Amino acid sequence: MPSASGKAARMTSHVGRLYSLAGALLAFFLLWAVIAAHPWATASASDPRLAALAQRERQLRANAALVQKVVDHRSAAYRVALTRRQSAIAAAKARASAASAASISQASSPSVRVVTLPPLVITKTS
Amino acid sequence: MQRFEFKAMGTNVELLLDVPTSRWSGSAFASVRAEFARLEAILSRFRPDSELSELNRAGRLDGASPDLLRITELALEARARTGGRFDPTVHNALVAAGYDRTFDEVGADGVVVATRPPARCLGFVSVEPEASEIVLGPGVKLDFGGIGKGYAADRACELLEPFGPCLVSAGGDLAARGGLWPVGVETHLGTITLELTSGAMATSGSDRRRWSTSTGEAHHLIDPRTGVPAETDLLRVTAVGRTAAHAEVLAKSLCLAGAERAVLEADELGIPAVLTLADGTSVLAGGLA
Repeated sequence: MPSASGKAARMTSHVGRLYSLAGALLAFFLLWAVIAAHPWATASASDPRLAALAQRERQLRANAALVQKVVDHRSAAYRVALTRRQSAIAAAKARASAASAASISQASSPSVRVVTLPPLVITKTS
Repeated sequence: MQRFEFKAMGTNVELLLDVPTSRWSGSAFASVRAEFARLEAILSRFRPDSELSELNRAGRLDGASPDLLRITELALEARARTGGRFDPTVHNALVAAGYDRTFDEVGADGVVVATRPPARCLGFVSVEPEASEIVLGPGVKLDFGGIGKGYAADRACELLEPFGPCLVSAGGDLAARGGLWPVGVETHLGTITLELTSGAMATSGSDRRRWSTSTGEAHHLIDPRTGVPAETDLLRVTAVGRTAAHAEVLAKSLCLAGAERAVLEADELGIPAVLTLADGTSVLAGGLA
């Protein structure tokens, strides 16, 4: 059986105190880390901000799809109008060219006579 | 008077505009030059990328340009009107005679061109303007050498006309609009001057565009009825017509008719013409005196 003086000596040991202090500090930080990690919060628990973000994303996706649909529709309408316009321009050009070509064969009757003037140009075998 | 010259369609083109110099005339001449270049790109048989070459290669052309359609129509009308003396299907005959490249190459001094057996002319050609379609018979190919220049001269005149009285001469084919234009016609006895007020004039004959072949001399005036260079007592004929394309057809047709018949036809049909015979004499016909 240890004596009372021996027990007191162990309890006032500096080394023992240091170990006790280090253990207490370690236990304190471990507890802090555990509390900071919120282990009691479940993964399925819904954060209202995340839910709002998700809803906002869905709304934006829906809006984007709607805008894309409108753009596609307008683009298709524009392409149809462009094709019509290009056809109209081509037809107008063809008409103008054909009218010009036709007018060549409808020129007025020639008028010519022999004169004694010096010629401005000479006609030769083509 | 303003004069502008350039080379196109294998010949010299002269533009005369009877107005004072202005900044507009320069652009007018430039537009005419561009028009000649455009038509040459369509009508040349020597350019492999021309519309005519494409038609000749394929024997059929869908979506033909209005110019090619119109000139083909004009040529076919002329063939019918002249009883085949004018024919756009002389391409193979020209090639057979040795005119198978530009005349600058064919006509080089001292070059003897190999000839081939005569080719048939008066081939099948169908034009559908509504469908923009031209169809050729098997082996048929078109050449618009003379009438093409006349057509271009007419188009050029149309472009210049708004600027004032004008005359366009493309080789022998010339067209005038407004004004009085003294035009010289060469004969053995000198130059006869014809004053052209409106209309056109063209000269056709065998005195130019001649070349040497292994079988003798040849020229570009093909008789479609024989498929070989024409033998006629006329050296050249200058005819006056409504348009240069029309005048070109008249000149060629009269030249192939022979002197006696050509004078009769010119008088009967009222075609003012100067006929130069191979023997050196010249005859005025069709009301010219």
